[in-house]
Amino acid sequence: MTTVQVAHVSKSFGDVKAVQDVSFEVYPGEVFGLLGPNGAGKTTTIRMMLDIFRPDRGEITIFDGKLTEAKKNRIGYMPEDRGLYKDLKLEPTLLFLATLKGIDEATARARLDPWLERFDLTGFRQQKVQNLSKGMQQKAQLIATLLHDPELLVVDEPFAGLDPVNTRLVKNIIEELRQQGKTIIMSAHQMHQVEELCNRILLIDHGRNVLYGEVDKIKRDFAGNALAIEGQGDFTNLPGVLEARQHNSTWHLTLDVGVDPQDVLRALVRQEDVKLERFEVAEPSLEDIFVTVVQRPEHEEAANA
Amino acid sequence: MRNFWLIAKHEYLKIVRKKSFLVGTLWVPAMITVVMVVSILASLGQRGELPLGYVDHTGLLSDAVTLSPDADGKTPLTMRAFSDEAAAHQALMDEAIQAYYVIPADYVQSGRAQLFYLDQRPAEVAQQDFRAFLRANLLADYPADIQRRMIEGSAITFRSSDGSQELESRNVMAFIVPFAAAFFFVFAVMNSGSYMLQAITDEKENRTIEVLATSMRPGELVGGKALGLMSVGLTQLGIWLLTGVLALFIASFFVPEVQGVRIPWTLLGVVALFFFPAYALIAGLMTAVGGIVSDLRQGQQISGIMNLFFMLPFFFMTLIMAKPNSPVIVVMTLFPTTAFVTITMRWAMTTVPLWQLAVSWVLLVASAGASVWLATRIFRIGMLHYGQTLRVKTILARLRAERS
Repeated sequence: MTTVQVAHVSKSFGDVKAVQDVSFEVYPGEVFGLLGPNGAGKTTTIRMMLDIFRPDRGEITIFDGKLTEAKKNRIGYMPEDRGLYKDLKLEPTLLFLATLKGIDEATARARLDPWLERFDLTGFRQQKVQNLSKGMQQKAQLIATLLHDPELLVVDEPFAGLDPVNTRLVKNIIEELRQQGKTIIMSAHQMHQVEELCNRILLIDHGRNVLYGEVDKIKRDFAGNALAIEGQGDFTNLPGVLEARQHNSTWHLTLDVGVDPQDVLRALVRQEDVKLERFEVAEPSLEDIFVTVVQRPEHEEAANA
Repeated sequence: MRNFWLIAKHEYLKIVRKKSFLVGTLWVPAMITVVMVVSILASLGQRGELPLGYVDHTGLLSDAVTLSPDADGKTPLTMRAFSDEAAAHQALMDEAIQAYYVIPADYVQSGRAQLFYLDQRPAEVAQQDFRAFLRANLLADYPADIQRRMIEGSAITFRSSDGSQELESRNVMAFIVPFAAAFFFVFAVMNSGSYMLQAITDEKENRTIEVLATSMRPGELVGGKALGLMSVGLTQLGIWLLTGVLALFIASFFVPEVQGVRIPWTLLGVVALFFFPAYALIAGLMTAVGGIVSDLRQGQQISGIMNLFFMLPFFFMTLIMAKPNSPVIVVMTLFPTTAFVTITMRWAMTTVPLWQLAVSWVLLVASAGASVWLATRIFRIGMLHYGQTLRVKTILARLRAERS
């Protein structure tokens, strides 16, 4: 049984192919990550899932069937960036949006207080939404998504605009929801923010499936493709290295598929102007894996097609 | 269906709580109150306590009769005769009289007389008193009932042959109400259209539309908005109507002429019948515009042009008054956007044939339904084209794709 099944879905806007032959499945009780850079087609895919857009091709099923009006009440959707009435007060806005999802106002009101308290918004309930900070609006939006207690949560860029403390708070809430058996689909372009939460992911680029599966398995498959190096000298332009990024004093190198880390070590040792202080085969981040995959020649050909 | 009502209620409350709505709605009662107060003050104001003087060179007033109190028990001003202008002028300077008339010898032939006053002209009621005094004395040899009829004038009732319409010459409301209804309707339409447009473009811009679209059918969303908007219009017209009736009621205690005013109920019935579909039409059109445009400013430009289609009959007002049954006016009666205003304005001038009313109403209802239907589809196509303007070609292609 699947909560969401997307099969060979495509969508174009004029000449722009936003989504091309994307497929994935989301199972009950898991956190599924829809990851990729800006403009990759994540939001379009989500909108097709929720019947905001109709796909040009392909099939989508939600809760084992077509998305009906009754099923809409079982879904909580948080669109990217915004989604609240700016010129209305916070409390009536949240109550109104909750009642549209099939619950009565008294129930919504009873559920609202704990959420406001948890998100530290109790004192702002009678403030107009436009007077709240971006982070507060993001938290308010999350309350609007949760208030009707949906079985399936679809959150588009849930951490946008949040400071580290609130990012942690939202991550904790997502973890709690998973433990309650909710299914969560979240999209993000900053992959490091979601990789610790997701059971499975779909990496998407230029509207196409790039990587799909369990996060742990993907990382295992790509182990040995990343190096962490500290020292002095030029660590760019090394043979077999797709990308070299410096973070503080550490260089993170992403290796091409099939490149042995020992070959890179030998190449470094041969360079006279390089002084090595640390050389470590690292577990790759999703970002490293993404870079490795999208720079494969066969993927570039497909993306340009 | 539940969400349809929730959207209607939300839309209604959102608009009526806006300051701009309060200002836009209350200016009419404020204006009516000002007019009423001014009218009452003018009516109370008075003949003035001082008598009016006159110098009669015709000899007709040598043995003048005085006017008796009118039907409301109000006593007319005292008229004081002077032998010549010098004496009258002196009395004026001494403030023994507020003004004096000089009636020349050829008054009967010319009908001309002169009024002299210091710095303030006598009130209209005082002048009416003198004209009544003059008429009464010119008719002194006639029986009292003929005198009264000549002084009060006649009240002619115009009736259409089929009895569907009646107009009394003294009932100014029969003329004023249709034009006022037309004016206020257009004003309300422009107001509501602008609220609707703003609501839609705001929802597109702040992406609330995505949350709404994932909570209900587009039809419920657009229909609920249309109903909310109609309720706003009804509230606005209700407040205006109530204020008008209240003003007439209060004014009737002070201005006797108002007591004879009759409310043209048939016209108000027709107004009510056309009101809802006309509002649904504008709601549909504005939703469609909101769905197409990328921002509010662009929407306002298009809606400005659209409003012209509702205001068109005002440009033909002269023709409506001169030839209310001409073919152009009949076409405007039948055309959905111009129907309401044309019918109400024609109502004051002629009998609008029943078949025209029926055809016009059917066309209006059909076009209102079509506009809401089309708006629902355009809205679905265009709601998420954030920052983009939809081209007609795109809309048609998508509509075709949705049907297939």
